[in-house]
Amino acid sequence: MTLLVNRLLGTLADPWLGEAVHRLEHRGAVETVTLPRADLARRRLRLRTDRGSDLAIALPREVALVDRAVLLLDPDRAVILRVEAENWLRLRPRDGAEALSLGYFAGNLHWRARFEGGDLLVAVEHPLATYLERLRDRLAEGRVQQVEQAAG
Amino acid sequence: MTHPFPDFTAPAGPARIGIGGPVGSGKTALIERLIPALTGRGISLAVITNDLVTDEDAERVRRSGLIDPARVRAVEAGACPHTVIREDPTLNLAAAEDLDAAFPGLDLILLESGGDNLASTFSLDLVDWWMFVIDVGQGDDIPRKRGPGIMQSDLLVINKLDLAPYVHVDAAAILREARAIRAARPVLGCCCRPYGRDGADGTDGIDAIVDLIDREVLFTRAARQDAG
Repeated sequence: MTLLVNRLLGTLADPWLGEAVHRLEHRGAVETVTLPRADLARRRLRLRTDRGSDLAIALPREVALVDRAVLLLDPDRAVILRVEAENWLRLRPRDGAEALSLGYFAGNLHWRARFEGGDLLVAVEHPLATYLERLRDRLAEGRVQQVEQAAG
Repeated sequence: MTHPFPDFTAPAGPARIGIGGPVGSGKTALIERLIPALTGRGISLAVITNDLVTDEDAERVRRSGLIDPARVRAVEAGACPHTVIREDPTLNLAAAEDLDAAFPGLDLILLESGGDNLASTFSLDLVDWWMFVIDVGQGDDIPRKRGPGIMQSDLLVINKLDLAPYVHVDAAAILREARAIRAARPVLGCCCRPYGRDGADGTDGIDAIVDLIDREVLFTRAARQDAG
């Protein structure tokens, strides 16, 4: 049977919800559904929980999914949303000119990015190889260095 | 007819589905096939078209006789059609809200983008789910070229499969390659205007697209029962 979700009850940070879910955890009655961060913007999704329950989510436009949201709570079961940890590709440009060029390039490809010190961090939302392929010449020529790939 | 959403539509409002893809790939033709297929399943729908500087596509859909013309709105995108579906979808959001207010009980709004290249994507603030339409006439290498439209859409539609032999494309091979490139994301082939046939024989791929829309977005009673 499909479970219908058309509102969020709150998050695990809400004391009354946290306690209720915790009680169900002792009975092994908590299911989780995991989403990539990029999908948090969605309002309608068809998902399966870790125990195989079928979930149809249709939220009002003004409601947004968040990590640890309680999607469903009844006396016998709770369903919690978890957001996947994100991987970031950390790129260190050789100099200021390359930093400008790399920033322009990443923007052109619509890569989601943030900055840390002199590094450009790119959210890895597709297979890592597709990013490295686009960066092949820059990496091979030493214009850009791949420093690490960090989860966060 | 019994309404297909007895307990589920009111709070969320109508679902919104984006239909993007290059100029001439068959986006409007697909809408002309989806309208009767969805209406036949009891879905109340409306359409928003995006054109560069005219309302050509909207007028075509209005005159099709398939839908109440008042349920079709046009957005003129200006020079960059992707901008109004991704960076700043304000005009499309306003059109969707107008339709929602004008037609209470609306289940679905289809938003057709102005034709663009392989890079166009939809903002998830605007749509719940989106498909990207290409066709075999553009060459069998289009899926290999990837691009955000090919890679990130919730459904890739390859249209005009019936024309494949005439443009030196192996229809089975282009579908196979597209599925390999997109991994778990679905790819469906179709013929919106089957050459020499009326499309009523069920081999044109339209029903499979509607089934997927129902399963992933509309959640009608039938789609929920399919889940077992």
